[in-house]
Amino acid sequence: MAVSRLGYAHVRVTDMAEAKDHYANTMGLYETHAEGNKTYYKAWDEWDHHSVVLEEGGVGLVKFGWKVDYSSDIDEIEKRATAFGVTVERMSKGENAEIGDGIRFTTPSDHVFEVYHEATCIGTEVGTHNPDAFPRHLVGVGVPALDHSLITAEDPGLMDRFLTAVFDFFPTERVQTSLDDDADIIATWMTSGNQIHQLAVLAGPQGKLHHFAFRLGDWVEVGRAADLFSMDDVPIDIGPTRHGITRGQTVYFFDPSGNRNEVFAGGYLAFRDRPMNVWTPDALGKGVFYHARELNDAFTSVLT
Amino acid sequence: MPTVTIHPTGEVIHLETGETVLSGLYRAGYSYTVGCRRGGCAICKVDCLAGEFAYDHPIADTVLSEDERTDGTCLSCRAVPTTDVTIELRGEDVRLVNPFLRQINEKARLRAQALAASPAGAVPKE
Ligand code: FES
Ligand SMILES: [Fe+2]
Repeated sequence: MAVSRLGYAHVRVTDMAEAKDHYANTMGLYETHAEGNKTYYKAWDEWDHHSVVLEEGGVGLVKFGWKVDYSSDIDEIEKRATAFGVTVERMSKGENAEIGDGIRFTTPSDHVFEVYHEATCIGTEVGTHNPDAFPRHLVGVGVPALDHSLITAEDPGLMDRFLTAVFDFFPTERVQTSLDDDADIIATWMTSGNQIHQLAVLAGPQGKLHHFAFRLGDWVEVGRAADLFSMDDVPIDIGPTRHGITRGQTVYFFDPSGNRNEVFAGGYLAFRDRPMNVWTPDALGKGVFYHARELNDAFTSVLT
Repeated sequence: MPTVTIHPTGEVIHLETGETVLSGLYRAGYSYTVGCRRGGCAICKVDCLAGEFAYDHPIADTVLSEDERTDGTCLSCRAVPTTDVTIELRGEDVRLVNPFLRQINEKARLRAQALAASPAGAVPKE
């Protein structure tokens, strides 16, 4: 049983024209489809039909799509989620454009997750036959792929157990009230494989989005992204800096509707048997922003 | 061109036509607690004690409740004053971070005031 990755982030935007300008011209995503009040995008090094869906009206998260390695994983996850006490419904091919059959449920954190195995394969922008290293005419930041997300929940410990039991995720890092066995979990970074995190959960209100992140290669690309954000008047929340947690290099910034985005590079390899890193609240500032070493006003309060 | 008066300190800030409260305050050298600056996170709410404003973008229901649309709540990053307004921040004061901008804004305000008071078309000397 294996969740492959965060397949798509489906978010609300208040103004589609402004949002399209940001995701296409600043981030460099490729529009693959539009229907009704929705626009679909993929990044250049992704092969599936889309990884970002924008829906006009409101702000914040509509849902996440999680792609699994085998179609039998869908049944297995349905079984496990039901056993955990979550109500699961079936979704059929076409309910999401170019996405196959799957399941849908609301997590204990009040976020909507979909799980699927099939998506129309468009192919990366460099192809698979003697491919070049990157497309020559990237636009703006030119992100290669969607990477991960951070959401908030009243009980991150419950979400840690849920993701472990249902998705077979494991935590790579945690923030806890103390090092004691009975400590409360304030935040958890979870994954199914070598990627340092696919989903992180921070204590906060139910059902909210902190950010979703795009992958970059290294510090230089992160710095260049920040330069482009200044050129395009994209509000930067913080960065470029490093996260102590995951060791990733980052810029947090906002899309034109106020949804927080991130570009994220680096992060060490995760392994199931690697001892988990534990952070305590006295070092949370350094854990989140490794150089400023203190949280900004916005980190825990600015959500959509 | 409207002005923003900050209660209770009485600072008066000159806005360009179509400018939001947040943008005007920052362009006049002030800073206060803001988040996304794009109408999504609800952090930048202030109270509008007098005057009228309109929102220059649709505001999500998760950001402004039904009541907050009529009770004087002003989402400052999206609120464009249509008359002179008086606002009060919630639990903090504005911080002057760029005094040079403050001076420039004050000059612009006095000039606009003089222009408004003079006979139509006449431009007062500095
Ligand atoms: S700063 Fe986020 S809504 Fe105004
Ligand atoms: Fe992140």
